[in-house]
Amino acid sequence: MENVKFKIIKKKKVLSLLDSLTKEYNIFVPVEEDGDVRFSGFKSGQDISWDYRNTKISPKEILFPPTETLFSFGPGAEVKPEGSTPGGKDYLIFGIRPCDAKAISLLDKVFGGDDFQDPYYLKRRKETTIISLACSKPQIDCFCTSLKGKPDNEEGTDIILFDLGEDIIARPVTKKGGKFIENLSSWFKEAKESDVTKKDKLMDLSLKKIQFQVDIQNIKERLDDAFDASFWNEIHQKCLGCGICTYFCPTCHCFDITDEINPRAGDSTTPEGKRVRCWDSCMYPLFTLHASGHNPRPTYKERMRQRIMHKFNYCPENFEEIFCVGCGRCIRNCPVNIDLREILISIDLS
Amino acid sequence: MIEKIKETVKKLFKENKIDILIGYSEGTLPLRSTPCFITRPEDIEKLVWNSYCFNNLAVYLPRFFVPQPGKKDAKLPKIGILAKGCDGRSIVGLIKEHQIPRENLYIIGIHCEGMIDIKKIQDTGCKMQEVDIIAAEEKNDKVLVEDGDKKKVELKKEELLADVCASCQYTAPVIYDILIGKEKGKTKKEDREAIIKEFEKKSLEERWKYFQEQVSKCIRCNACRQACPNCYCKECFAEQTKPKWIGATNDISDVMFYQIGRIFHQAGRCVDCGACVRACPMGVDLRVFTYKLIKDVKEFFEYEAGVSLEEAPPLATFKSDDKQEFITEP
Repeated sequence: MENVKFKIIKKKKVLSLLDSLTKEYNIFVPVEEDGDVRFSGFKSGQDISWDYRNTKISPKEILFPPTETLFSFGPGAEVKPEGSTPGGKDYLIFGIRPCDAKAISLLDKVFGGDDFQDPYYLKRRKETTIISLACSKPQIDCFCTSLKGKPDNEEGTDIILFDLGEDIIARPVTKKGGKFIENLSSWFKEAKESDVTKKDKLMDLSLKKIQFQVDIQNIKERLDDAFDASFWNEIHQKCLGCGICTYFCPTCHCFDITDEINPRAGDSTTPEGKRVRCWDSCMYPLFTLHASGHNPRPTYKERMRQRIMHKFNYCPENFEEIFCVGCGRCIRNCPVNIDLREILISIDLS
Repeated sequence: MIEKIKETVKKLFKENKIDILIGYSEGTLPLRSTPCFITRPEDIEKLVWNSYCFNNLAVYLPRFFVPQPGKKDAKLPKIGILAKGCDGRSIVGLIKEHQIPRENLYIIGIHCEGMIDIKKIQDTGCKMQEVDIIAAEEKNDKVLVEDGDKKKVELKKEELLADVCASCQYTAPVIYDILIGKEKGKTKKEDREAIIKEFEKKSLEERWKYFQEQVSKCIRCNACRQACPNCYCKECFAEQTKPKWIGATNDISDVMFYQIGRIFHQAGRCVDCGACVRACPMGVDLRVFTYKLIKDVKEFFEYEAGVSLEEAPPLATFKSDDKQEFITEP
């Protein structure tokens, strides 16, 4: 899609455009609440947050919900697989940051890989169009450029938007995105050369704001022999063992499956219930606790090592991708200021 | 202050009185200090003391004293720890609950002047979505923050003080081996009482609504539990499967049960350090309930958690004149 021209639309018109799409799509937009921004369902007449830094919780929660019912069961009940998009409408994720769009492309590899296909995720994903919003507000803990990202990275997105203030420039990235814009062609005009220049300048400025660089070259190889390295003995020490880093991470994808039984429903001998999957975290001891009582990752050290190794060694091995997009959420939200960038640097020093 | 701390720690290592020192070093983000563990005397220089040392360090202590099967006679480490008033109260609680041995601790008590709450910066007009704070500097009672455009804003530390700090009743630890700093004047006790009184005036429906609003933000990352020095249980009720008390989902009923259970397990134990509220990434604030617990325990049992090593905890004792109205006339 290299030669596709940039389209332009007045920012004021975008809300009406979204409004016109609510019949076809479940639209998710960034909305500010109590100083934080989070994706939520677009309602007619509402405003959206254009110049937000990034959402606190990553938009992975849309495609990979924190709690999802896989199926329900009970006396006389049919086992019905659930998990499709509500109301039969497709998803439109509007205005996610490029780092988070890239993260979705990584989740696609996990849930749609050659070995395992996750029908729940994949059905939703197939019915989803992603429109990203190029980043003009990197934060001090952002380091996407160290991970082959940039403020206008296009991986994982169908259309990328650039906010020029009064106008929005759109560039279709995938065929799906191209078709989407084509169907809405009456809303757009061709962008002028000067608009594109303006956009380039904006991106240059944004790129300059991302100052922190971590040398990520050969990180997989460097970690290959590091399983027993001594730095693991120290980096975990202040970890509290909460799930913030993993729950906020746009690429973390581990889950737990449990049966939630309602013993009071139905007749008492055959309870009703549902099988649910919930986000889980490798930072919890229960994550690897065996039925025998043995735990292969008994302390904070093994669990911290797992988180780092999974992202920077095992995933490169399995998917040829580092599972970190440098969004900085784990750094920003850690209650004890464990900084992934520092950890990556310390790998180098040892 | 920091020089005195470093000097003390140096001496402790030299005299072989501690194996590990738990303190704070400079954080990687503005307005943040980070817990650090020092085992080598040459790392003492890393130590810092400022208004961002808000983490309750007592949370780390029990892990050093977990009984190891088959290693009953293992030598326990000697630990030095910097303790603000709140860390100190937590330490008292942990000693009384037999999680840490007093003789293995060297408590470096510090007269705390209160820690800032990063979230309060929002209230001063520095909207986090608009201003990216890239640097911060503390000068006396002011905090100078610098944004991405090098614009500097001067904020009063007093306005940024965390609520728990503003109404703190014990700014220095009640037990210590050395106490550093000067005592600051008493803080406002009334604030806390006013919060409870105001809440108590509300109708049942209003109170329930507030509770629902707060817990509905919860994503069950367990940060509140993990940051709490009192939550040292090897297996939390929230994760038990036999019997299974609550579901693992983010369904409001599961979240409520989790939060209610977590708070009620703090009766007679919560020392009001605020670690749970600080750690919560979603802004869940259930402090009014922990305040209420503290108030009730004091009224019914004349007991305050974390302020005396000798006094027996109310849940571990029975007196024939114990108040029972909370059961008979709830």
